[in-house]
Amino acid sequence: MATLSFAGVEKRYGVVQVLHRVDLEVADGEFIVLVGPSGCGKSTLLRCIAGLEEITGGELRIDGRRVNDVAPRDRDVAMVFQSYALYPHMTVRENMGFALSLQKHPETVPRVEAAAAMLGLSHLLDRFPRELSGGQRQRVAMGRAIVRRPKVFLFDEPLSNLDASLRNQVRVELRRQHAALRTTTVYVTHDQTEALTLADRIVVLNGGVVQQVGTPDELYFEPRNRFVAGFIGSPGMNFLERLEDHVVGVRPNDVVLGAGPHEAEVEVVEKLGFESMIHLRLGEEALVARVEGATPTGRVRLDFARAYRFDRATGERRG
Amino acid sequence: MRSPGLARVVVTHAALTALTVATIFPVLWVVKMALTPSSTFSMSVNPFPTEVSLENFSAVVGTHDATGSWLFGRQLFNSLLVSGITAAMGVTLACTAGYALSRWNFPGRDRMMAAFLLTQMFPGVVMAIPLYLLLDALGLLDSMAGLILVYSTTTVPFATWNLKGYFDTIPKDLEEAAMLDGASRWTTFTRIILPLARPAIAVTALFAFMTAWNEFILAATLLGDERAYTLPVVLNGYVGEFSAEWGNFAAGAILVSLPVTALFFILQRQLVEGLTAGGVKG
Amino acid sequence: MSLALLLGLLGQAQAGEVTLWHAWRGDERLALDTLVEQYNAAHPGTTIRPVFVPYEALSSKIEAAVPRGNGPDLFVYAHEKVADWTDEKFILPVELPADGLHPVTVDALRLREQVWGWPLAYKSLALYYNRALVPTPPATTDALLATAEALHGPDRWGFAWEASSAYANAPWMHGFGGGVFDTDGAVRLDSPGNVAAFRFVQTLAALGPAEPSGALLTQLFNEGSVAMIANGPSFLGEVGAVDFGVAPLPTVSATGRAAAPYITVDALFLAREGAEARAFADWMVADEAAEVRHRVGKQMVANTRVEVTDPRLVAFRQQLDTAVPMPTRPEMAQTWEPLARAMRRLVRGAITPEEAASEAAFQYTIVSRPSPPAADPRPWVVAAGLGLVAAAVWLAREVRGAPIARWRFAFAWVAPAFSAMTLLVVLPFVVGAAVSLFEYDQQAWTFVGLANFLDILLARDFPLTSPLSFWSTLAVTIAWTVANVVLHVGIGVALAMLLREPWVRLRGVFRALLILPWAVPSYITALIWKGMFHRQFGAINGLLALVGVEPVSWFAHWSTAFAANVTTNTWLGFPFMMVVTLGALQAIPRDLEEAAEVDGASGWQRFHLVTLPLLKPALLPAVILGSVWTFNMFNVIYLVSGGEPDGGTDILISQAYRWAFTRGHRYGYAAAYAVLIFGVLVLYGRVANRFASRKVV
Repeated sequence: MATLSFAGVEKRYGVVQVLHRVDLEVADGEFIVLVGPSGCGKSTLLRCIAGLEEITGGELRIDGRRVNDVAPRDRDVAMVFQSYALYPHMTVRENMGFALSLQKHPETVPRVEAAAAMLGLSHLLDRFPRELSGGQRQRVAMGRAIVRRPKVFLFDEPLSNLDASLRNQVRVELRRQHAALRTTTVYVTHDQTEALTLADRIVVLNGGVVQQVGTPDELYFEPRNRFVAGFIGSPGMNFLERLEDHVVGVRPNDVVLGAGPHEAEVEVVEKLGFESMIHLRLGEEALVARVEGATPTGRVRLDFARAYRFDRATGERRG
Repeated sequence: MRSPGLARVVVTHAALTALTVATIFPVLWVVKMALTPSSTFSMSVNPFPTEVSLENFSAVVGTHDATGSWLFGRQLFNSLLVSGITAAMGVTLACTAGYALSRWNFPGRDRMMAAFLLTQMFPGVVMAIPLYLLLDALGLLDSMAGLILVYSTTTVPFATWNLKGYFDTIPKDLEEAAMLDGASRWTTFTRIILPLARPAIAVTALFAFMTAWNEFILAATLLGDERAYTLPVVLNGYVGEFSAEWGNFAAGAILVSLPVTALFFILQRQLVEGLTAGGVKG
Repeated sequence: MSLALLLGLLGQAQAGEVTLWHAWRGDERLALDTLVEQYNAAHPGTTIRPVFVPYEALSSKIEAAVPRGNGPDLFVYAHEKVADWTDEKFILPVELPADGLHPVTVDALRLREQVWGWPLAYKSLALYYNRALVPTPPATTDALLATAEALHGPDRWGFAWEASSAYANAPWMHGFGGGVFDTDGAVRLDSPGNVAAFRFVQTLAALGPAEPSGALLTQLFNEGSVAMIANGPSFLGEVGAVDFGVAPLPTVSATGRAAAPYITVDALFLAREGAEARAFADWMVADEAAEVRHRVGKQMVANTRVEVTDPRLVAFRQQLDTAVPMPTRPEMAQTWEPLARAMRRLVRGAITPEEAASEAAFQYTIVSRPSPPAADPRPWVVAAGLGLVAAAVWLAREVRGAPIARWRFAFAWVAPAFSAMTLLVVLPFVVGAAVSLFEYDQQAWTFVGLANFLDILLARDFPLTSPLSFWSTLAVTIAWTVANVVLHVGIGVALAMLLREPWVRLRGVFRALLILPWAVPSYITALIWKGMFHRQFGAINGLLALVGVEPVSWFAHWSTAFAANVTTNTWLGFPFMMVVTLGALQAIPRDLEEAAEVDGASGWQRFHLVTLPLLKPALLPAVILGSVWTFNMFNVIYLVSGGEPDGGTDILISQAYRWAFTRGHRYGYAAAYAVLIFGVLVLYGRVANRFASRKVV
């Protein structure tokens, strides 16, 4: 268990800078999710923690120890790869025990068996990775990390190769594991739902720059700029450019239909069972509202329960 | 996949059969010469022996030297020793070099790759005498050690090249996982990479083995004693300047080819996978 | 460690013994081993250690080992190299007993008033005849012609000999008053005597079987298909159940002279002074040992006191009286190829005897061309020095600024392979290449600068279209490489496509049999293929006859000889491409092709629009490597067509080999060829790079 500390961390490949002055403190036992669109630098940041990428500027500390020049194997971190990176020529047992067997750890066998029991892998221990399903492989990859009891867990989009129902299931599982082990965890995903459901705190990255760090609620209710507001929450926030001097942002569930200062036309209605998505046209702009119960037709009047205002030029929040 | 039409099946099998017959025809000839009890190179269309005897084989296998020790056995042992060590050394050198060339983009890497390939373009004709001088200077003349050194070095360029190609297909994150698991570079190489590259290593070793197993000019020049000769040197002696013992030659040829052919059949699957980097499937 | 020790021990020689190198096999070897055993037992102080060296390697091994003190004390070799070896001081003069040795055999070893070896045995051609067909052997060439004509029928011939070998035709050249040297001792191949001999050869060859090689003569004589052949004493052991006699070769009717064959004398040569070695050699030629060599070893011994009772062997001794010792002069070595080339064409009927004589003479002037003038090496030393400095500066600049220290570990990983390769592959090649700046002639090295390169590139000695010219050979080499690679890839890919179909029965068996050519050593199968291409007895023409095609004289025409070479090499090379393709196909998902099929692509379109582009990355390196190997594929050319017809199918590498070893030792010229070959391939690599999607060179 450990703290993580980033101070002005930068990463550049030649002239291309992929990470700009990242400052972040991760508390012991915290579950941090790095989220952002693809190419935003989140995986690079993760690999910097692992030591698989060298930091070209700033300082990274694990548990107070400066690790800029420490080899990956001496950092005591474990990582679950997107591809799982299971050793194809080893059984599940050997895969999970590999790290400990390298140290000739006396508890290799019991720890592997305990982790396998915890993950429901006990009956698969002597199989090879190629004989496992996607979900099973994912659990082996997690098991391999758990067995080591590292200071930090790193996850690199571990659910992206699973189908939707399995993904939900594993998400809950992950949360449960974390509750049990309380190991400091850094988790990378591009899926904001995963971020919101898993994280103690979320780091939103865009273009190598940290946009905002905060709890899921903070990010959802108090986004610092237009990018965070648009990225977090599903369906995304409506941005109305022409209503005021600032850009007005309204979450679909903050659109109140029936009465109010604005009038819009209903274009499409998506029925989702319990709720519906109403696609509206307000002047020349499109707007989505999320409503429960009866769906209107034709022209409706509407109001905003809550609206955010962003600077037209910089995207900074103005109110 | 739909099942193919009857015509396609028939044509495919016919084509395969015809080409296979054409392929083994000359080999049948060697067998015929080996089994026919005369020393002549007899030519006819029929590739099957009309009379069969193992005379040639016993003549080849039964050679003894002046002191009565069993020459063939000794030479077979020499061949196995030289080829085996050549394969082991060549592959060892090539594995580490191929891995470094595959994984690390160090300064001069591309030039080094090019240099390995360039050596394949050296015509061998001019190299025998300088090699002789060099081994003489190193004091390795007339010894198997010298011959093994030369053989394993000549196998290194192709071996490195082939192994590098295969290493390229092994996903990088396996090594990263191993590194995070606490493995050093060397441990990662020996515990993760080498086991995964087994098909390529087997094929490369087979190639190196064959190089040494079939070579006779350098062996005859660099070895000083009949008891140190490898089998191809002896085999080539059967077809001399003035007379040729074709029967013995063919029998010897079969004996020489058998181990390699057997290795080919055993390693068939690896051969297919290891030559072209089929890729490691998780 | 212990392994190195073991290896060291295996190669070690004991001090204080007499080492004897020889290439004797069979009975000769048995006799030698018996004698050595006997001698060692009788002389406790001495140990004679005979070492067998294959004939092909013996002379180069002697020439490499003796000057560096690694040679034997004694060695057995034919006398023809006496002149070379005395000049180089490889061998020492010897004292022979006053009588008992046949004077011709001693003469053969005499040079500058000294004798340079102990004559052991001699070999010459004589006439073998089948008693059932020829009761009395012909005494004159007229009688020989008459018999040959009388016995000639379908699949039967009166007389056969190796009609296109210069050695086998020497008796006729001598008998008709010609020969290699004129009375002044200069080489003259177009003398009237030679023309007359060539005319006789052409007439006689027309009555014999086609392409008579040594192996074929043996077979035909044993089958009774040929009544008479000219052959050496070693043939005695190869005759089967035929009742035969041996007689001296006939007298030439036109001149009344004997058809005098060459004799070669196997002699013991002294490479290192030593009383024990001399004593053993003296004993070897003396009566007791000569008797054993004759009786056990079936040798025609030089010792005339050994009683010869077998009338067949008596004939060889009679032949000795008219025979001519093989000349030892260095020019002799350069006459074989011009003569053989002219005779091949003569025997095929492609040229007249007169043309053959002038052709031989012309070819001789080419191979015996004068050495280029010596050049001043000083500017070269300066240039080489400057080059080294430039290279060092360049390297220093490359290294500076490069993060060498960071990558130190990576260099450690490649260092073993790279340094071994530099030492044992690159260094020998550089040394070998440096030889191209020298000329080796009459046992002396002269620095000639770029003269060898200029001679080759400007085709100074022969027309551009001559098979000897670099440019026409380059064209042949390129054609050879392209044809082979296309066929290797074509057949390899086609077979792989067939073999991957899951519904093919016995896939494993097919695949196993189809890679067989790869597993059998190529020098064996190349010889087999040569036999299969024989005009009269080869399996290929046999198969063609079954479908009614006239027999093809494969090595008489460029196109067919080339085709024979390509066929052999295709056979050798397609399995590699097949296996590479099979591997690559495994990585290509079948659904891509199925998708194309759904899109309406035909079978061929699917292959060349979908499969082939996906195969390309795997095939391209194999193709480039394969073409480099084919470019330098010496074995097949040398063993199958041997460059026939008239050197037309030689490729650069076999041409280089000929300049080094069969056209007099033009090592400098050959090395220049090797450097040019390397240059061409590097150029090719550069060009190939452009087409390769991934960098290869």
